[in-house]
Amino acid sequence: MPLKLDLLGERIAEMVQASAAENRGRWVERARQLLNSVDPEELRAKLEERVVRLPWLVAVLYGNVNGAVEVRGCPSSFSVVAADGSYIAPDRHSPLRFYVLNTGYAAFSYGQHPSALLDSSAQLYFQEQDLYLDPLVRSAPVEGARLSAKMCLAEMRALLEAAEQVEGRPLVALRDGSLITWGLQTEDPAFVQEQFLKEFLGYLDRFHTLGIPLVSYISYPGARDVVNSLRVWLCTRHEVDCVTCPSSGAQEFCTALREIRDRDLFGFLRDGERSDVFGSKSAILNRYGPHRIRFLYMNVGGEVVRLEAPQWVTSDSQTLNLVQALIYDQARRSGTYPPYPPALQEAHEGAHISVSDRRLVQLLVERSLAEEGIIYGGSAKSGSKARRGV
Amino acid sequence: MRIGEIVESSSTHFVAESLDLRRPPELGRLVKVHLEEGRDLCAVVCHGETGSLDPGRRAVRRSTKEVYDDRVYREHPQLEHVLRTEFTSLAVGLLDKEVVHQGLPSMPPPLHYSVYGCEKEETTRFSQDLYYFRLLLGVPVRIPVELVLAGHLRWVYRERGHDEEWLQEAAREVANLLKQDYERLATVLYAIERDT
Repeated sequence: MPLKLDLLGERIAEMVQASAAENRGRWVERARQLLNSVDPEELRAKLEERVVRLPWLVAVLYGNVNGAVEVRGCPSSFSVVAADGSYIAPDRHSPLRFYVLNTGYAAFSYGQHPSALLDSSAQLYFQEQDLYLDPLVRSAPVEGARLSAKMCLAEMRALLEAAEQVEGRPLVALRDGSLITWGLQTEDPAFVQEQFLKEFLGYLDRFHTLGIPLVSYISYPGARDVVNSLRVWLCTRHEVDCVTCPSSGAQEFCTALREIRDRDLFGFLRDGERSDVFGSKSAILNRYGPHRIRFLYMNVGGEVVRLEAPQWVTSDSQTLNLVQALIYDQARRSGTYPPYPPALQEAHEGAHISVSDRRLVQLLVERSLAEEGIIYGGSAKSGSKARRGV
Repeated sequence: MRIGEIVESSSTHFVAESLDLRRPPELGRLVKVHLEEGRDLCAVVCHGETGSLDPGRRAVRRSTKEVYDDRVYREHPQLEHVLRTEFTSLAVGLLDKEVVHQGLPSMPPPLHYSVYGCEKEETTRFSQDLYYFRLLLGVPVRIPVELVLAGHLRWVYRERGHDEEWLQEAAREVANLLKQDYERLATVLYAIERDT
């Protein structure tokens, strides 16, 4: 039965009207004025003082909160490497439990000797130790956040292997998505987090040893860390407690700020400019050791993106300038608008698993089962969805 | 010289992916597929096309004020990997050791086999008999077939060392085949006269 769009039409109109009524543009302008008026030292002190009681993630300030750094020129020759991944999750309607991780990478060298390497690699996991983090008691199955974590490790491995193949220097390694492993925060720290972080931080160590700056690129970021810091700046109470906050001008402004994201706030950055570096208060980062992740915002020419990198990348101004220049150069080479780094785009293309490829994997499994005399067409539910008889 | 690999095959024609993105074989050129020792399938290139490797993606403009034409490929090295050039060739016969058989092959050439450019000697030998012009004119292709034939005549003429005698004979054969269709005949003869 087709979706009854007429039922949704009115609600869509209401939703758009409600969004327009918020008059976000006015609040964004006020938020930027506030950003310019903030005393960084005082805000830093206020955040330090209140950090344990804050209900939101806030940005830790290292430089000027409203700083803008112009982009420098690129070296005459340089390289960029990127990796991405996608997966086929375990299907409970399949007779066999397995998952597939597919990683793609792109390594481009520019300048004197331009070249490109594009490749992908697929792995199928079906053994007990692949399917469960604790295979002995079959607990902590690899699905959801744990599967995403496995995917993240596969991407890091692909990125490192690709980077090691590239001779051209300087070289910057790019990843899509966050380097802050938010998804693991609710997992068991001693067991799940430990297993994952040991390998993950091993890759960060390797990049550090090789002297290759690792950066994650987040397009259309939804984070509010810096905006949340401004809310703390506005807050006059000793303890942040929004429920009992009395109605006032500041309270109204603070409520409006909830709808504003950092990407809106940093819309003042001009093409190629980046913000100062901020720190994240995410609890999982306490386990990152020397690789604590920091972030900044950058206008790549059509979009304000969030860049995340280990502190050994962001604390070196020369390296950070190089990263900024190479990412801006990637944006300029993009064939789309708003721009997106071609290296990440091609890595994504290599990693993408199409619907037909997913179906093909399923068919291969069914055919292999049939060769062993096991005829299984999947569950009745999945069969009814596939055939949709009338 | 190996110039492509067959990615689509049928009784009348095959499509090959060019090994060189920017240098597909010329329209009308004679190419061959090595089927077995001493036995090659011959075909005439009738169409060429460059586009995205992935049918879901389209090529987009890459040039700027400073970077255009050949420099686009230097500044975007991935293009060599994500674009592809294909050419279609019409099967016209077999070179079976020393014997030339003009006509459609008994079966399509195998997928993924290599496509080679014919040497001058092979072109000369194959084009001695002009019967295969009938095959060229009889198969529907994506561009007017008389333009493919004109391109082929020009190319063979050059390969045969500007052989005027062969060209006159070929023109007479085309005139005979297209005597009922003056417009198409004029198209071929005009193209030959202009370029040779």
